Amino acid sequence: MELAPILVTLKLASITTAILLILGTPLAWWLSQTRNRFKTVLESVVALPLVLPPTVLGFYLLMALSPNGFVGGMWSYISDSPLSFSFTGLVIGSVIYSMPFVVQPLQASFEMVGKPIQQAAYSLGANRLDTFKNVVLPLSMRGFLVAITLGFAHTVGEFGVVLMIGGNIPEVTQVLSIVIYDHVEVLEYQQAHAYSAGLLVFSFVVLFITYSLNKKLMVRL
Amino acid sequence: MKEIKIAYKTSLNNFHLDVEFEIPNHGITVLFGPSGSGKSSVLNHIAGIDDQSDNKYSKLVLNNTVYDDSTKKIKLNPWQRKIAYVFQDNRLFSNMTVQKNIHFGHKRRKSTLDVNEVIEKFRIKDLLQHYPEQLSGGQKQRVSMVRALLSNPELLIMDEPLAALDYQSREELLPYIECIHKELTIPVIYVSHDIKEVLRLADYIVVMSQGKVIDKGELASLCISQPLLTQAEGASFILQGKVEKIFSDEKLMQISCENQSLFITGEDIKSGDDLRILIHAKDVSLCLTPPEDSSILNCIPVIVDSIKDKTNGKYEVTAKLGEQLIVAMISYRSAKALGLEEGKSVFAQFKATAMIK
Repeated sequence: MELAPILVTLKLASITTAILLILGTPLAWWLSQTRNRFKTVLESVVALPLVLPPTVLGFYLLMALSPNGFVGGMWSYISDSPLSFSFTGLVIGSVIYSMPFVVQPLQASFEMVGKPIQQAAYSLGANRLDTFKNVVLPLSMRGFLVAITLGFAHTVGEFGVVLMIGGNIPEVTQVLSIVIYDHVEVLEYQQAHAYSAGLLVFSFVVLFITYSLNKKLMVRL
Repeated sequence: MKEIKIAYKTSLNNFHLDVEFEIPNHGITVLFGPSGSGKSSVLNHIAGIDDQSDNKYSKLVLNNTVYDDSTKKIKLNPWQRKIAYVFQDNRLFSNMTVQKNIHFGHKRRKSTLDVNEVIEKFRIKDLLQHYPEQLSGGQKQRVSMVRALLSNPELLIMDEPLAALDYQSREELLPYIECIHKELTIPVIYVSHDIKEVLRLADYIVVMSQGKVIDKGELASLCISQPLLTQAEGASFILQGKVEKIFSDEKLMQISCENQSLFITGEDIKSGDDLRILIHAKDVSLCLTPPEDSSILNCIPVIVDSIKDKTNGKYEVTAKLGEQLIVAMISYRSAKALGLEEGKSVFAQFKATAMIK
């Protein structure tokens, strides 16, 4: 059993989750607060990866990321490496693909905190940023826990999009789910078993820890 | 004397709010009115947390500081206003202990109040390490009052802080609110639709109905002129007195008022406490000599001050009891029989049970 696919997968999931937290937190916050009429449009766009076949998403990403595509073209203009079939391309794809799994729980938990509690903080002299940092964030810990877990786990488990845009380059873009697929295709069931069982146990442990933590947090919040 | 100027004109889903009034910058002003009259909207405007974008006109001046003036495009953010808000639903931060809750505002606004003294006064010392969910409704509201007070407000606004509580907790909390007023001298705007709270707390009253201010003034004069306030048919009046004695076995209190003794049923107030009693004019009768053997306990000498014809077969007779006024609703026939006229000495009678405290 090779270690490389596991490392690539963990690296991809960690980077993706980190980027999603940075991008998703303000987006989820805006969605939870706004009454703008574009809110529904944006919510629908964020939720698209939930319903689209990964191949559709992968196909359009491939078009966009290829050197002739919009994003890929710009990328090759500023750097001399292509975006498609690269780790960076994989991160971009994963961020889009796992977006709803981070944004939706965050938005829900921000909405749960609600305007009234923010108003109370304002009336005690805390401005918007202060209120967000010291009242909303601590009260949204469960949302963050769920968002991080789902974002990470969903990225670990992605297959279709990676297959379309990642290429399957060992030690660069070859992730676990693809390796398993490759082994099954050439009837190497034992290797497939090793990775599959490992992923199964890993996923269970992550979810178990999350749900336990969640319960602990629930007591306080 | 400094005053608080408030104006607010806005529309929300066919509800039109149009108020403009001034209130004294001391004591407790009760914003009174039925639910849906716009009281809470006015409070939110004062706090700056109304999210109405289409204000037609708004103004708020406190201690000569302009907080809000739509004509000059001034609108301070809620956190820039020295106004603390006690909400009906307490809105304590559930992830913080009581201690952290009350320090939240204190830390940010540097209160001049002595923290320990306020904690002592509101009896929350034993609760400091608790989380809000471990507290009873009354305790939560006490903590939320302390939290508001320690944020160093120049004005405290309270939106029906007792409405969500049971009777017992309400009775427990009222003295704390009186304490804010008497000992801390912070002006308070208190929203309520409960006449009992008004009697206990109000120095000044603004009566609202359907988005408009329909009357305002001191409690005593408003009771006579504003039946909406007392929810009685016709006028009511207030007598102020001091509890002299409590007859626990009879559940009766003796109250001294203008050197007269009044009796009122009940025993839930301490001897020596000041008390305001509300009496409906229709429950008062007048006579020329005190009856010897009546079940009516209260019979006090008064001097007729004015007689107003209510044109429905009744006169509204106002009479003086020392410095205070009583009002009686008397039929044309009784008035004629007694020969009522201004300056005449008569006796006013009312039952010990006819009074609300």
